[in-house]
Amino acid sequence: MALPTPTLAAIRYGYGLRPGEEPPRDVEALLGQIEEGASGKPRFPREGIAGRLDTATRVVSLLAAEAKARRAGNPNEDVRKATQSEARRIYRQDAMARLAQAIHSPLGFYERLASFWVDHFSTSVMKSLPMRMIVPLYEAQAIRPNLGGSFTKLLSTAILHPAMLIYLDQDQSVGPDSVAARKNGRGLNENLGRELLELHTLGAGSGYTQEDVRASALILTGLSVDNRAMQVVYQPRFAEAGPVNLLGRIYRDDEGDGQDHVLMLEDLAANPKTAQHICGKLVRHFIADDAPEEMVAAMVAAWTKSRGDLTEVYRAMLAHPRAWSDPGRKIKQPFEFVVSGFRALDLPERNFGNLLRDMDDGDEDESPVQKAMDLTGMAAREDTKKKAGRANALTLGALQRMGQPIWQPPSPAGFADETSVWLTPSQLSERISWSRMVARIFGQKMEPSVFLQAALADAAHPETSRIIAQAPNKVHGITMVLASPEFNRR
Amino acid sequence: MSFQHGFPLSRRGFLAGACCAAGASILTPVSFAAMPGDNRFVTIILRGAMDGLDFVQPYGDPAYAALRPKLGLRPDTGLIDLDGFFGLNPAASALMPLWQAGELSFVHAVSTPYRDQRSHFDGQDMLETGGNGKGERTGWLNRTLAVIPRSNARKAIDINTSMELILSGPNEADSWSSQSNFALAEDEIAFLDRLYAGDPAFAKAMEEAKKTDISADSLYADGKRGAGIADMARLAGGMLREDYRIASFSINGWDTHVGQQGQFRKAVGDLSTAILTLKAALGEDAWKKTAVLAMTEFGRTARENGTNGTDHGTGGLAVLAGGAIPGGKVLGKWPGLSEDKLLDRRDLMPTGDVREVAAAMLYRQFGIEPDTLTAKVFPGLSFDTSSAYLRG
Repeated sequence: MALPTPTLAAIRYGYGLRPGEEPPRDVEALLGQIEEGASGKPRFPREGIAGRLDTATRVVSLLAAEAKARRAGNPNEDVRKATQSEARRIYRQDAMARLAQAIHSPLGFYERLASFWVDHFSTSVMKSLPMRMIVPLYEAQAIRPNLGGSFTKLLSTAILHPAMLIYLDQDQSVGPDSVAARKNGRGLNENLGRELLELHTLGAGSGYTQEDVRASALILTGLSVDNRAMQVVYQPRFAEAGPVNLLGRIYRDDEGDGQDHVLMLEDLAANPKTAQHICGKLVRHFIADDAPEEMVAAMVAAWTKSRGDLTEVYRAMLAHPRAWSDPGRKIKQPFEFVVSGFRALDLPERNFGNLLRDMDDGDEDESPVQKAMDLTGMAAREDTKKKAGRANALTLGALQRMGQPIWQPPSPAGFADETSVWLTPSQLSERISWSRMVARIFGQKMEPSVFLQAALADAAHPETSRIIAQAPNKVHGITMVLASPEFNRR
Repeated sequence: MSFQHGFPLSRRGFLAGACCAAGASILTPVSFAAMPGDNRFVTIILRGAMDGLDFVQPYGDPAYAALRPKLGLRPDTGLIDLDGFFGLNPAASALMPLWQAGELSFVHAVSTPYRDQRSHFDGQDMLETGGNGKGERTGWLNRTLAVIPRSNARKAIDINTSMELILSGPNEADSWSSQSNFALAEDEIAFLDRLYAGDPAFAKAMEEAKKTDISADSLYADGKRGAGIADMARLAGGMLREDYRIASFSINGWDTHVGQQGQFRKAVGDLSTAILTLKAALGEDAWKKTAVLAMTEFGRTARENGTNGTDHGTGGLAVLAGGAIPGGKVLGKWPGLSEDKLLDRRDLMPTGDVREVAAAMLYRQFGIEPDTLTAKVFPGLSFDTSSAYLRG
């Protein structure tokens, strides 16, 4: 079944249809989103980039001071706990803002690309407490402004960000022959060097060796993070001295200016294997698990011709006939599913503020029915947190249960992207549960057939329309729209 | 919106014969002086269109057995005789003590003014708005709040994750749920199966989801089917024991197109649980002052269909319970089931308006004047103190 371009454009290349929002008319409309998105300001970090740098460094300083006091035998539990809960609150607000950003942005393709690249260059808030605040900063600072330009630029801003260096332990790595190693015995950490080759550029199985992994790690030595300023710094004392051979090129000792890693990133970005790896990954993400080879080839050709201009690569993807045929080969990932569900429901923006407030108010006990609850022997404490729990269950908790919590990939490889992973019995029952919950809360007064039209337009199968129209009640009708195969596929 | 087929809506007679042989008052006359302002009223919406012919089976009607060869029962095949003409589905046997105590009645062959279109959603809206046409967005129970004579008797609660239409409107009412995620009812599961039938991967995942414990938890909520119903009823009872006077909630699972027997048994079990839990939670004193009205959007076809179920029909059944009703009756004017008596040769002919039953309850419990009820709560309804549902 071929879908008219605008519907397919919104569903396959965006976060789905939203009532009142014109779906992209054609390829140029999709591509036009990229510049607009890249120059825009995301809703996170909540204090903006400069503000977040202040907050993050303040929290890091507080934690450092507390750790120092603890070592001196004067621990201040209150400071530590208050700081932790502050970092968690900031994360929750940013995560909700990321959700709201995806839901409310009219630039669906740009938003999907942002998710793709944040996942490609995975970092996780679970690494450490400060990372709760740094990962959102990373997405806003390193990924979003650069995803439409040259891959070299995107690669270097992503790798050379505190979030990446902390996540993959580069801030711990010291060249074995460096000044620092001779002094304190610390050594090399290959984590970033390995993932740089395997995940971020050439790709697993592309022919590099363990020697190359080590070489890459050695070239990266010297890169570290100044926690007090939350900036990447080059520490010559950590850097490995002497020439390093990576994939046949000698990177010279650069104890003085520290530019060898910059050259390495440029070389890796320009390596044909990188183009192959990333174009294949884009096609597998947007089109099908078994990426059509001719499509990947067209994108690699565009990559080569434009020297890695990502907008040209996207253009080659979208210009291919396969980009507009055979829909439904992919299952929406949980984040896409939840975002597209909220989009179809067309909730006013203030509803998200309310949900967040409900979460923050979770501890308050002001239930008008408390007495009745107590009287009837219900678990009172649980019920006072009901609203907070519900707000969470609708949003961040739902993503957790479905296996895609925001900014918490399971590994540096990011979230799985295969259809089989996201179409399992438990995944389906979670999606039905979520659909039912949002239908009960937001959909009681909606007409299911109207909602079906808003959510899927001409992508709904006639049989699905018939079933929805016969649903035993409205809430179940809305539930079925969201739980339908068409709504979950793209 | 008006009833067709020439049946006047008020001054309804009710079933002659054995069911009424006792000749006792149907509902005792309202004594305003005695009404302390703490009467209670509960509505339970049976979503999916409950098959009244299955719930209270007219085994004495000569045409019944032929219409329902599989679903129809007789006292010698398990039906619980009520009055020599009607019998109670054995799935509702838990309610028999109420019947015997005069705290349970049924009203047969009633419906809203909704006709012919067989859209579930419009039918539901009609039930909740009080038959005010498609554009109406306030519920009759909400409008009731404005006309209850005593202001201290107006607190109302909808036990749901958000306000249902029946209690939606300009007057203040609370909404609360006992849990955020209720179990899917049988008919809802069956619809999901249909939804996935055309997509093998989804169909397979759904089949397995129903089998595995973890998935079943999220489909059936806590794995304990019915627990949500008891929680809702307990919460409603608790609220009504406090200063709430009106409560409303819904029970899903009544859309029985296929394999009705098992599904109906579960749904009836849920309703029984709800009523008995309400009674227990209210306690004896409050239960004495409580009237419960369980009603559904429309009935189902008189004939069973080819898949051991029934399809959307018209005439249905309302259930009355509570210590405030003089029960033990099957009320309503029985139209008969011979083919010429059926609506469109298909449905149980509605002979009564379920809104009139509701109006009678509101008059009984809260002393709302009939003129007010027909002007503000159920515009277009004919109702006065000679209503069959009030006659003694």
